[in-house]
Amino acid sequence: MNFSKNLFNGIIPENPIFKLMLGLCPTLAVTTAAMNGLGMGLATMVVLVGSNVVISLIKKQIPDKIRIPAFIVIIASFVTIVGMLLKAYFPDLDKALGIFIPLIVVNCVILARAESFASKNDVLNSLADGIGMGLGFTLSLTILGSIRELFGAGSIFGISVFGGSFEPAIMMILPPGAFLTLGLLLGLLNKVSASK
Amino acid sequence: MREIGRLSLVLFIISGIAALLLGATNYVTKDVIAEQIRLENEKARMEVLGDAEEFQQLDEDLISAAAQSLGFDNLEVIEEVYEGISAGQAVGYTFKSVPRAYGGEITVLTGISIDGTVTGMRIVSHTETPGLGAKATDGSFMAQFENQSATSPLQVIKSGTPGQNEISAITGATITTEAIAQGVNYSIEMFNELNK
Repeated sequence: MNFSKNLFNGIIPENPIFKLMLGLCPTLAVTTAAMNGLGMGLATMVVLVGSNVVISLIKKQIPDKIRIPAFIVIIASFVTIVGMLLKAYFPDLDKALGIFIPLIVVNCVILARAESFASKNDVLNSLADGIGMGLGFTLSLTILGSIRELFGAGSIFGISVFGGSFEPAIMMILPPGAFLTLGLLLGLLNKVSASK
Repeated sequence: MREIGRLSLVLFIISGIAALLLGATNYVTKDVIAEQIRLENEKARMEVLGDAEEFQQLDEDLISAAAQSLGFDNLEVIEEVYEGISAGQAVGYTFKSVPRAYGGEITVLTGISIDGTVTGMRIVSHTETPGLGAKATDGSFMAQFENQSATSPLQVIKSGTPGQNEISAITGATITTEAIAQGVNYSIEMFNELNK
């Protein structure tokens, strides 16, 4: 019961991007195309699930006063190990996701979930929270990436939508496009939830 | 005082375990990663200098001496030079250069045939921003370098149709484009020095 509730929590009610507004820095930077959003989202999810489980397992051993440095050490080690394993055994996947891996270390969604969820809940629920938050993050980034790619390059996932005569608005794949898209989406979501 | 000692010890143990895990992963993956990189380099050499049947690495002292006499700012900007051989005859060279771009060093492999034509350019590895600088690995961008003449340096232009020895910059990634062009230009200079 709790498992599915915690899983769902990260996707809509506490969506990391649209509700918690966490991890915006890599979000704004990489969502220039739908594929990039999906890649960054999935890579983050793997680390988020891993760090949530580990931190929830050893939460009793970590004294309160040094929990933040302890979390950072654990998360950074996780990211580095995942990066090395990808490079060695999955070179094709590394080609696609490798550039996102170093960005994950500085993603505050992971630290925030460690601090506010995994350090207070058991392993199973932390796993659910990791998956849910990861899915929510992936979904948000893919939506942002799709919109920016559609207007900035005239395609979605690299597939041309408007045909050759479309003159793309390059601004959309540059940094201003990230702020515009995120701001308009947030406004729209707030309007929808306020009118309910 | 006793509390500080205890906290330090716990943090020390956590960091120690993390270091141990990182060390172990590095030990296991180090050789596999090196092998993957070697295979990738070999494949890239074949792609940029298709005429060659086999490759022979040139002596590193020779390269650094040439870099010195050319007066390069960074004497190690050309890391490796291979001579491409077909039927016992030298058909060209491949140059591995590591210019500094926006997100760190980019590994650029340039192939130049013995008659002074750039036969190809490949980005072997990079850490540029996804969606912007990372577009340098697109086939259409790399194809711009093909069949350029190695008699004069390449120029980067931001708009308009590129003419002879001109490269169109990637939108929003001029620094990346210039770094790559610089890597190719270093390779061109080195080629002219070696082929005197």
